Amino acid sequence: MAVASSNLSAVKKKRRFDLAKPTGISLVVVAMLPLVIMPLLSIFIFGFSKGPSHFLEALVNPAAIFSLKLSLITSSVATVCNVVFGVLAAWVMTKYEFRGASALMIVISLPTAIPTAVAGFALLLLWGPFGLLGQFLEATDWQIMFTTAAIILANIFVTFPLAFGTIQPALENFDTNLEDAAETMGASRWQAFRYVVLPSLRTAIITGALLTFARSIGEFGSTIMVSGNMMMKTQTAPLYIYARYNDGDVEAANAIAIVLAIISFAIFSLIMIFRKRLER
Amino acid sequence: MARPMVMTLFPETQAFAQRSTQAQPALSVRNLTKRFGNEIVLNDVSFNVAEGESLVLLGPSGSGKSTTLRIIAGLETPDSGEVVLHEREIEHLRARDRNVGVIFQNYALFPEMTVAENIGFGLKIRGVKARKRAEVVDRLLEMINLNDQRDKKPRHLSGGQQQRVAIARALAYEPEVLLFDESFSALDPHTRVGLRREIRQLLRRLRVPALFITHDQEEAMELGDHIAILNKGRLEQIGTPQEIYNDPQTEFVATFLGSANVLKGEWQDGLIRLDHGYFVVPPHEAFDIPIDDGERVKIIFRPEDVLLSTMLGVAESPYHLGEGEVTEVKFTGATEAVTIRLLNSPLRPSRPQLVTSISEHTEAKAKECFVKTLRSKWDARRVRLAPGNRVSIGLKAHKLLRGDTE
Repeated sequence: MAVASSNLSAVKKKRRFDLAKPTGISLVVVAMLPLVIMPLLSIFIFGFSKGPSHFLEALVNPAAIFSLKLSLITSSVATVCNVVFGVLAAWVMTKYEFRGASALMIVISLPTAIPTAVAGFALLLLWGPFGLLGQFLEATDWQIMFTTAAIILANIFVTFPLAFGTIQPALENFDTNLEDAAETMGASRWQAFRYVVLPSLRTAIITGALLTFARSIGEFGSTIMVSGNMMMKTQTAPLYIYARYNDGDVEAANAIAIVLAIISFAIFSLIMIFRKRLER
Repeated sequence: MARPMVMTLFPETQAFAQRSTQAQPALSVRNLTKRFGNEIVLNDVSFNVAEGESLVLLGPSGSGKSTTLRIIAGLETPDSGEVVLHEREIEHLRARDRNVGVIFQNYALFPEMTVAENIGFGLKIRGVKARKRAEVVDRLLEMINLNDQRDKKPRHLSGGQQQRVAIARALAYEPEVLLFDESFSALDPHTRVGLRREIRQLLRRLRVPALFITHDQEEAMELGDHIAILNKGRLEQIGTPQEIYNDPQTEFVATFLGSANVLKGEWQDGLIRLDHGYFVVPPHEAFDIPIDDGERVKIIFRPEDVLLSTMLGVAESPYHLGEGEVTEVKFTGATEAVTIRLLNSPLRPSRPQLVTSISEHTEAKAKECFVKTLRSKWDARRVRLAPGNRVSIGLKAHKLLRGDTE
């Protein structure tokens, strides 16, 4: 057997040099350079071109710090909401058969397909001063549009199906015998869920949360519609970048861009790690 | 609803010992019927399991045996019928209130819990304090000999080890009955045999009633104090392995547990006219209800109950079936398998009526009829047989059944 396989590899080695391989690889890399790699690199090159002190100075600007904090907070809240909803919806869609299930599935999955500006505009129409629900708020002291709540609502909307999308397949693959086993051992449905189902969904939940968070923290289109883009009030990090750049303050924009890019890289790496685990 | 937990634990348990003195059956299933849509899965199934006894539900897939187990466990509801566990009607209770232990086909160990956590889960749910729990878990780990694996996740264990964990996990909370759902089918044959023996010993010691579900007759013979044969949702027969094997009440039972020859025919003028076209003398036994001409009958006998003799016409056995010709001889190790083709010519001039050749018309219609036989090495050496030899066929044991149903 060993002889046979070594012979085989010898045959492989003797194969003629294949020009298509290096050509193909170089083509992909060359195409990616101006499209992806160079733009990303330029953020860092420009950001640090005047030295790290300039970068730090731009970073500690209160408005910049505020925008980062606001982004982190709104994204976190949206993530928690959508993970909780994702688990609930995954449970309902997996465990129960009912009329209109496929229609509900489409509605749940729809939001990512809608342009973010449209999503923001839709929220404005609902909650704004003349909106369907907003007109009732008008009479009270409550206000949703142009507040932090609006940013969270926008984030929830645009990331709605992401957590569901990773949790639902995991639940679908879950061995229902385990729930039966827990039940025969005396567990209530909640206990079976809490101790048996939920731990098995952990990787899927974390992956879904990371995806939601990554998408939320960079959200621009819907946020700019509903937040009012007020500095130190409703200006998230992406809006800050845009506003600084418009004012000609490229360095300030660049500093925050670097921070956002680094956060995204970090989340992306985590997602890759957990995706691998999910596939196991 | 759960019974009070008795914390004196394994191996010698008070709770089990007490229950074992009761005369009532530990588990009683009465008139279970279950339909899935139009299909009837269980048809009026009733049986009892005595205290400390193990019953095997044996049947092919689709016979309803798994549904029976799931109904007892509370994972399925019957359309009608009762399940009584230690004089408590439980068919209306939720699974978690029944206090039964189920060992699932693929063990259903919780993948995110360690071995020890799996075993302790039932107690944790019952609110048993961590320290008490650890005591029980330790004792069970000792019992299944997996103390060194306690902190591993189940996926790192072998199949046999996983099954032992599943059993320990079910025993931890002292269930009133253990239900094994095809629990051995996923194991390799060697592990399977060893584990079966272990489980049998364990059950004897604990005296906990057990119900096994299987389609494996060898497993049924080894594990069951009693065997119940299920076919198409009906319980065909229940009895000790010996009773089922030696005295099958239906053709299905005879052919499903072990192999059997089935000769079908109809009653005609005090003889049996086989469907193959010729006549044999019926066995001596009488029917309680007189039999009419034309009524369908079956002669069922096991290959090892056939006595072959080269002395034609001499009946060494209680029932002389007829004459035949050897068509195949196969050495299988412990036994010799001989296939015989029944002959329809009268080979015995002295008593020609016994095996009767009939009119040529009928003879033309006659199909070949083969009988499978098994001989011991001793017999094989004493009376050597080769294809073409003529033999007389005697039956040491047989069963005569009326009717045409399976």
